[in-house]
Amino acid sequence: MAKLNLALYWASSCGGCDVAVLDVNEKILDIAAVADIVLWPVAVDGKYADIEAMEPGTIDVCLFNGAVRNSENEHIAMLLREKSKVMVAFGSCAVSGGIPALANFKERDEVLKRVFMETPSTVNPEGVLPLTRCEVPEGTLSLPEFYKYVHCLDQVVEVDYYVPGCPPTPQRIWDVVQAIVSGNLPPRGATVGATEKSLCDECKRIKQNKKVKRFYRVHEIIPDPERCLLEQGLLCMGPVTRGGCGAQCISANMPCRGCYGPLPGVIDQGAKYISSIGSIMDVQSPEEVESLLETIADPAGTFYRFGMSTALLRGANR
Amino acid sequence: MGRRITIDPITRLEGHGKIEIFLDDAGAVENVYFQIPELRGFEKFCEGRPVEELPRIVSRICGV
Amino acid sequence: MENFEPKIIGFLCNWCSYAGADLAGVGRMQYPSNLRVIRVMCSGRVDPTFVFKALSEGADGVLIAGCHPGDCHYTDGNYNTLKRIPLMLKVLEQFGVEKERVRMEWISAAEGSIFAGVVKEFTETVRKLGPYKRNGLERGGKVG
Ligand code: SF4
Ligand code: SF4
Ligand code: FES
Repeated sequence: MAKLNLALYWASSCGGCDVAVLDVNEKILDIAAVADIVLWPVAVDGKYADIEAMEPGTIDVCLFNGAVRNSENEHIAMLLREKSKVMVAFGSCAVSGGIPALANFKERDEVLKRVFMETPSTVNPEGVLPLTRCEVPEGTLSLPEFYKYVHCLDQVVEVDYYVPGCPPTPQRIWDVVQAIVSGNLPPRGATVGATEKSLCDECKRIKQNKKVKRFYRVHEIIPDPERCLLEQGLLCMGPVTRGGCGAQCISANMPCRGCYGPLPGVIDQGAKYISSIGSIMDVQSPEEVESLLETIADPAGTFYRFGMSTALLRGANR
Repeated sequence: MGRRITIDPITRLEGHGKIEIFLDDAGAVENVYFQIPELRGFEKFCEGRPVEELPRIVSRICGV
Repeated sequence: MENFEPKIIGFLCNWCSYAGADLAGVGRMQYPSNLRVIRVMCSGRVDPTFVFKALSEGADGVLIAGCHPGDCHYTDGNYNTLKRIPLMLKVLEQFGVEKERVRMEWISAAEGSIFAGVVKEFTETVRKLGPYKRNGLERGGKVG
């Protein structure tokens, strides 16, 4: 069998997805045995110009991680889409915006101002902001345009498969690689490397009666490590999140923040979570409801921790 | 006119970078520009997030 | 803004509020035609997804009406409504959406005139707020 051409790219990301791929450890050699890696900035090489010179369809599979934050991310996404037979949105940022998309709560100009003018470690008396074009004596330099919104990959190009997780776990990555190599992939558009059931389903904790009189922030209590965290008043997103991570946060006695994305059929993870939280609140009068809600510190930033780009209200009224 | 060499992206490190090297007629380096074409803005979007959640947010500044 | 006719989606529970709306109709009470009614079996069936989807696909305001607390035909469906909607309003506000665009009301089958009054008042509230600004982030739309 001819070797596969594989590309791994990071757009607006942290590199955690790339490291997760390396965390398959010695199996990386098995990957190298069946695939030529034509682009992988963090670990191998490959220049944009080399990709541009390729015939369309040269790359068999592109694992694209990171969100689309600027015009360079968008340009490379389009370039890799054109050159790749199979485009995979890899990791929460590419799937739904991830942590960088929390910036969708803020205005673009506020972000630039804070970063380049106001942070205590910044000295910028002239208030210089990055320019997309800049003339220097030797010629013209260019920088990407910083977009108003953080997008996920399928908002700019066609995506064939989705691998959720921040980052996807090495075990799941290996499953996905095997599926690719054996040609054993599900129909296009599918989410791979995750289960079809909720995280609660793979969570080993004892689940009894979900009735909550007050919510706690994680530093306020030390939860019983045997019992469901939600029942103890910690906002755990297990009920609305796909399984697949092996309940990692839960085993560290921390509530899930939903990085494996919404359950199949759910279009807005945060909205679904509001719905489930509503039904476990053990209060009745509007006043009691109000004071119970006071105990939730940052509902939107928690319920949409990894999903701001796909939120139905994304960028509303701005 | 001298030559311009663009290295884009620079690889095998964390983050995005681009280097523009300008050579003079003799082929010697006249000037080099190192550019970082990325920004996410943690400095701003962490504002308003609960402090106890920050370890789980800022750990995504760099995952390498 | 004077000429702006808001689109309002109303999720009315089958047993009380929808019957109340019916009564308003039978009684020939006048109320603005800005409301588009969607009948649901119970206000507790209204998932916040419905509300967000309504807003993101063209509505400027959303009304959710059900039986008075204690009167829900499924015992406690509207108690869930009573807890979900306020939490949803907090989330809306964090997204920069005026919480006045979403209104929760208890309207019984006998309260036709109250229904008409609520619709009138709510239509004016939303008219004052102006159109809900959506942005086209769908694929193929303008990225930026
Ligand atoms: S809510 Fe969280 S702790 Fe409870 S069962 Fe689900 S995943 Fe486990
Ligand atoms: S427990 Fe939740 S937040 Fe943690 S890794 Fe799993 S899906 Fe992600
Ligand atoms: S049946 Fe009317 S609110 Fe439940």
